[in-house]
Amino acid sequence: MDALTLSFAVINGLLLGGIYGGVALGLSLIFGVMRVINFAHGSFLMLAMYCSYLLWASLGVHPYVSILVTVPFLFAVGYVVQSVVISPLIRRERALVVEPTSALLLTAGVYLVVDNSVLMAFGPDVRSVTTDITYESIFVAGLPINMARLIGFAAAILVAFALSFWLKHSDMGRAIRATAQNRDAAAMSGINVPLIYNVTFGLGCAVLGLFGALLVPFFSITPTIGLSFGIKSFLVVVLGGIGSIPGSILGGLLLGVFESVAAQFVTATSAAIFSFGLFIVILLMRPAGLMGRA
Amino acid sequence: MRVSFTLILGLPLLVAALILPFVVADNYVVHSAAMVLYFAYMASSWNFVCGYVGQVSLGHAAFSGIAGYASVLLFTGLGLSPWIGMILGGILAAAISVPVGYATFRLKGPYFTLTSIAFAEILRIWLENTDAFLGIPLKGAQGLTVPPVGGTSFVAFQFDGKLPYYFIILAMLVGVMAATRLMERSRLGFYLKAIRGNRDGSEALGIDPTRYCLTALALSAFLTGLGGAYYAQLFRYINPERNMGIDLSIDMAVMTIVGGQGTILGPTLGALVLHPVGEVVRATLGGHVLGLHLILYGVVLMLAVLYFPKGIIAPLQRWLAPAPKAPAPVVKPKEVEGR
Repeated sequence: MDALTLSFAVINGLLLGGIYGGVALGLSLIFGVMRVINFAHGSFLMLAMYCSYLLWASLGVHPYVSILVTVPFLFAVGYVVQSVVISPLIRRERALVVEPTSALLLTAGVYLVVDNSVLMAFGPDVRSVTTDITYESIFVAGLPINMARLIGFAAAILVAFALSFWLKHSDMGRAIRATAQNRDAAAMSGINVPLIYNVTFGLGCAVLGLFGALLVPFFSITPTIGLSFGIKSFLVVVLGGIGSIPGSILGGLLLGVFESVAAQFVTATSAAIFSFGLFIVILLMRPAGLMGRA
Repeated sequence: MRVSFTLILGLPLLVAALILPFVVADNYVVHSAAMVLYFAYMASSWNFVCGYVGQVSLGHAAFSGIAGYASVLLFTGLGLSPWIGMILGGILAAAISVPVGYATFRLKGPYFTLTSIAFAEILRIWLENTDAFLGIPLKGAQGLTVPPVGGTSFVAFQFDGKLPYYFIILAMLVGVMAATRLMERSRLGFYLKAIRGNRDGSEALGIDPTRYCLTALALSAFLTGLGGAYYAQLFRYINPERNMGIDLSIDMAVMTIVGGQGTILGPTLGALVLHPVGEVVRATLGGHVLGLHLILYGVVLMLAVLYFPKGIIAPLQRWLAPAPKAPAPVVKPKEVEGR
């Protein structure tokens, strides 16, 4: 493999990796605040992609314009899922021992419902969106860089900065961080903890609304892509450290480059083996997983 | 108490299962009933380790696939009877489960679950993209067919009607229940329950959690493998998607959790409730509606986690075999006042 192919793979990996990091932001935020591993994380991304696709296919809305719809929609979905499905478990946990496996199973139920509802509504066909931006590239030092990926990458960096700024300086952000540190103490200081949980979950999903729409121009959509994105997000969060927003982006970049370089040696379908393998190796090297730092 | 309850509920079910194919001698009904028993068997095999250790594996389908492929390949390649292939496949699955379990059982809760998915998915993706491995034709995603020998042959595990298949899986199910019962009452069973209750505490008492979890996992992988080989023989076809996909793992876990983890009859109860409901939904709303039964599984799973964490077997148990009233707690007035 020559240097040109390799540098092309690395750049593509960096761009896609940034987007992986952006996708994982929500998972990291939700886990950091609520200690819930959202198994349905990838499914919500898939939902956002279908939402954007539908707007494009039926009304001709450009995927980037559809962000105006997908972000509030996903926020609402996250808010409702948290307040209806997950909050009964958290209310029960207040008295009992925290049981992360129950939370995982609960969100696995959400994953089954969301993935199969979409499968039922749209069938297993692969769909893709072609827009003006799909094949547009700019050349930097002789290497083609896909515009859609570059925009996704830039958005990931931007969202990461905006989110950490907001968490640090806004009232709601402070309340969220206080709840993450100590739920009971936050409640005693007058913070409405159930509301914080709903907003956090909604926010984690709203980020997916953004990246779903940004992915659509260059990523084919099937009802089953959710799980692979979900697993990748877990991997990114494990790599980057729990609850850490810059860590999430960094983990994404690492995974993107790793995958993209691995794909140079084997077929694209088999490349998924490497990200799963990396996932196992990383977790085994830190047996306590994310909990080790909690 | 539990023994009598298992018998109160289990014996009528067994009698019903034994006479069912003679009351309704319809091939479709017998086949569907065999599928219920198959899922009950698979869920019971899953329960054998996960229900007792309290760790949720969503990678168990890999063991089904390993043994299924082994039995089919040994039959087509070497002409070995699937009965022997089944056992060898099960042993292979158990052998593979030990190093995997050794590495992963150190992980707790969700991390164990996610790693088990990653492990099974690696195997499935590899199989789907591999046409031949070391000269063995695996045929990738296309899958392998079992060539018919014509007519009924016990040695070749091929029968004309569905009835023999039905009784084979019924016997396997009774076997896995007996094995679970034996395990529950053995040293292993008590150790596993101790590990589930408090891992660090049991380790402090001198129980080696890794060793006993691995023993149970190897047995569970062996049992799951037998089920996978049975499935391949029933359909005379095996492919990575159906025999080792994540859907199968989820089925096994959901049925056990809904029915009742860590009990002998729980997984069977879960399969008995969920599979027929899924089938009816599929049959009445038509085959074109993909995934509807899985939506239902998802809803039932959420309800079970929230409202029946011990499974539907718990209220049944209270109703059929109420526990003797616990003596009223003795409160020493002095101590209460002293606070």
